[in-house]
Amino acid sequence: MKIDEIYNAWKEQKSRIEVGKGFSDKVISRIHQYERQKRKPLFDSHRLIELISTRPLGKATVVTAGVLIGFVRMMLVVYAFWGC
Amino acid sequence: MTHETDIIRQVLEGDIESFRLLLARYEKPVIRMIRNITYDRESYEDIAQDVFLTAYKKLASFDRARSSFSTWLFTIARNKSLNELKRKKPRPISEPPEKSNPHNPSDDMAKKEFYGRLDKTLQALPSRQRRAFVLAEFEKLSYAEIARIEGTRPGTIKSRINRAKMKLRTALEEFAGDVL
Repeated sequence: MKIDEIYNAWKEQKSRIEVGKGFSDKVISRIHQYERQKRKPLFDSHRLIELISTRPLGKATVVTAGVLIGFVRMMLVVYAFWGC
Repeated sequence: MTHETDIIRQVLEGDIESFRLLLARYEKPVIRMIRNITYDRESYEDIAQDVFLTAYKKLASFDRARSSFSTWLFTIARNKSLNELKRKKPRPISEPPEKSNPHNPSDDMAKKEFYGRLDKTLQALPSRQRRAFVLAEFEKLSYAEIARIEGTRPGTIKSRINRAKMKLRTALEEFAGDVL
């Protein structure tokens, strides 16, 4: 066998390719998944309520935020009276 | 056969299933290119999946006045392959198989030895030369198309391919000299 023949046969062999079963299905499935994620709203109130009600950290965050807001409001009221 | 522009328009209008037509047309060339550039037998199909997903996401930015769809897709495949090569540590190149009947290079074992030597040489080529060679010899792209993918001039591509071919030929001749 000549060098050129070997070289061409090698190129031929390298050009052959078997695509894995279901390759295009996997890609299409990933595209559908991507589209679903894209359509999810940035702010989902139901998801937020679910997060707060099911996670202890969520509940603690809401309570802490409430306390802080209440404290700031009280300070503003006191400041308004003393300021006058 | 549906024209590529029509398929792309249908996909952009929300018909995801039309993307299968592009997959059917390009899955083999893209997978082959990635396999021959990265030499990664484990994950080349995963990289190819990423290429097609990226192509889908960026399809709106494809401008056919600037390049053909195949050139655009191969550019994505080239970039993903490069990222993969950077991400992974270089693997040791496998040793060629043991020599068999050196007096009869036409037998299967001898052929495998030659192929092994060519594979090893291709894998050891500088990345730019290997990419240019793979795109020209296996994907049959023109110098101009490869130059667009690589972001360089056709003359540069031509010289990279010639250098790659010369190295492969030298390796093959040396090996043939050893075994014959």
